[in-house]
Amino acid sequence: MLDAEIVRRGDTVVLSRTCPDHGAFEAVVYGDAVRYLEIRRFDKPGDEPLERQTEVVRGCPHDCGICPEHAQHTCLGIIEVNTACNLDCPICFADSGTGPQKHGYSLTLAQVERMLDAFVRAEGEPESVQLSGGEPSIHPQILDMLAAARARGISLVMLNTNGIRLARDPRFAPALAELGVHVYMQFDGFDEATQLAIRGKALTEEKLRALDRCAEAGVSVSLAAALERGLNEHEIAPILRFGVEHPAVTGVFFQPVTHSGRFRADSNPLEKLTNSDVIDGIAAQLPEWFRADDFVPVPCCSPTCRSATFALYDGEDLVPLPRLVDVEQYLDYVTNRAVPDLEVREALEGLWSAKAAGGSAPVAERLDCVACATGMPPELREVAARGFMIVIQDFQDPYTLDVQKLRKCCVSEIAPDGRLIPFCAYNSVGYREQVRLTMSQNGHGN
Amino acid sequence: MATSPDLGALVAADDRASCCAAVYEHPAVQWLLGGELHPGGEQTTRRSLELIGIGRLDRLLDVASGTGTSALLAARQFGCSAVGLEFGARAVEAANAAARAQALDAKVEFRQGDAEALPFADAEFDAVLCECSLCLFADKRRAVAEISRVLRPGGRFALSDVVVDRERIPADLQGTLATVACVGEALSRRGTEQLLAEAGLRLDAVEARDDDAAALARRVQDRLRGARVLGFDRHEGFAMSTSQAIELARSAQRAIADGVLGYAIFAGTLP
Repeated sequence: MLDAEIVRRGDTVVLSRTCPDHGAFEAVVYGDAVRYLEIRRFDKPGDEPLERQTEVVRGCPHDCGICPEHAQHTCLGIIEVNTACNLDCPICFADSGTGPQKHGYSLTLAQVERMLDAFVRAEGEPESVQLSGGEPSIHPQILDMLAAARARGISLVMLNTNGIRLARDPRFAPALAELGVHVYMQFDGFDEATQLAIRGKALTEEKLRALDRCAEAGVSVSLAAALERGLNEHEIAPILRFGVEHPAVTGVFFQPVTHSGRFRADSNPLEKLTNSDVIDGIAAQLPEWFRADDFVPVPCCSPTCRSATFALYDGEDLVPLPRLVDVEQYLDYVTNRAVPDLEVREALEGLWSAKAAGGSAPVAERLDCVACATGMPPELREVAARGFMIVIQDFQDPYTLDVQKLRKCCVSEIAPDGRLIPFCAYNSVGYREQVRLTMSQNGHGN
Repeated sequence: MATSPDLGALVAADDRASCCAAVYEHPAVQWLLGGELHPGGEQTTRRSLELIGIGRLDRLLDVASGTGTSALLAARQFGCSAVGLEFGARAVEAANAAARAQALDAKVEFRQGDAEALPFADAEFDAVLCECSLCLFADKRRAVAEISRVLRPGGRFALSDVVVDRERIPADLQGTLATVACVGEALSRRGTEQLLAEAGLRLDAVEARDDDAAALARRVQDRLRGARVLGFDRHEGFAMSTSQAIELARSAQRAIADGVLGYAIFAGTLP
């Protein structure tokens, strides 16, 4: 671990450090220095997990599981059920693909059940889990795994997928509907150039078919768009406009592409997109709908990691929820002022959270609570509960990894041995490689 | 929507005081304004009280005190005692309940009454606060004379209100609804200054708060858009559709940007 300084460079904020072997380097962590200071107040003190799984031996970030130094519980658990995929995306941080996998693995149902049990031990009543990969939809037991998560009382069970199986297998969406699974589908834009660069293949037709099948079956979908500077930033507005119109889509997640794994390892870490760049992009491309201050940082993790809003849309006009409720006032943990209503704060904390996805039952309940408690007239509440969720989620890479942020991370990869490993540590510190090696040597290789 | 008096009938009958009180007591209107019954909300109130140097020994009158926010703030943050006068009976009730809830009922009380005939003796108060209400009073000269009458010599006043340039104000910002929305019959800055002078009040400071006015108009517009998106097109008793109201809020923002419409604090002394 190197000491680092967070410093201002022009309008941006960079992490600056010097390695004895490789010299000085800097990486941008937030694109707007003024807002960086302004959003520090959205920082909620961490909650305790019920169980910590590892001891402190080498110090952060080398003792992951939830170790005694970690300052947060887990809102969202991720289980990567396999390393095999039906695409070979150039940007894959999980280093998955179609061919034979170096240290590839595929989990059994029993293993996934043990991992879910470990998550339940750590969280008590976890609200949200995502099955990922690889491409989890091609795992032969994926439906049983999703059912196992639902059987543990987890209300938001998500499948992170590229949508190909949904498009090609007409039985799949109805099966997900029956299990009450929410689909988290990669959707990076409509331009062929975008798709070739990010996914290695033009997929619009299949994506649209997958979404239509979801709509038909009654499966709700969050679109997840990976954004890369100079490539598909201009597709923010088309993706959002498409999303709010499509009957299956209940939210859009924008994620600046992580330069972990194999993608653009040579890219300039001072030019990476950050959350403020995406927020400014949304406000610039859709000024009739959004301002930058409609996006409020999620207070559970570090304020630069995730910002979100909920939008109300009627087919013509769109109004972000923070215009109707003073969300900032409730989620400000630093400025010394009285919070008018703790019940509303709690509901907003549940909405501005990594465990939330548009269209899910807990989100609808919380939106209704906010609408009611803030004096929104009763006729409006029912509609408000159908808010469309927009999330901007940045991830750390080896250039930007900051253990102070990491210690407050609330998105964890659940490892096959039951450790909960903060997502950005899993991808940037070597845990992923360790897990793959162990799994492939233990006879779970593919 | 919660039960409400028939605002349309009140507007038609031109029962100004009842109409305004009913509008600002209405839950939908309170939601639209986000609890801020004047531009800048508590910040403007604090600034007004700072300008007149309110302190522990002062007895303050808040004319048109609404649900009591400002009088309670004055007692809580500046330590004065206060009386709030409000025409709307339900607002008075709510304000007294808020005073009890904040354990300020020994220092602050709210009474129902008419700003144009204040139910107080001459020279009874050390200071008077009147926020965003002069614009609503039918007889403004009389209301200001009443403020002057109940102030003791040397007493201070802070009056904050909408100011308009009557020559340039667009037509849609005139008329009954614009009046209820504080714009239709608001005075110009000069007009307000003259009125204060005529009542024997000396003006010590005028502070523009136009940005707060713009922010409030924008908030109202956003919340009206929210209401429309949520399927709320027209409320019985309101004389205009949500879309028309959105246009009015938009027009107000344009007028503020053009310097035709604004908000200001007028602070001074009774010599």
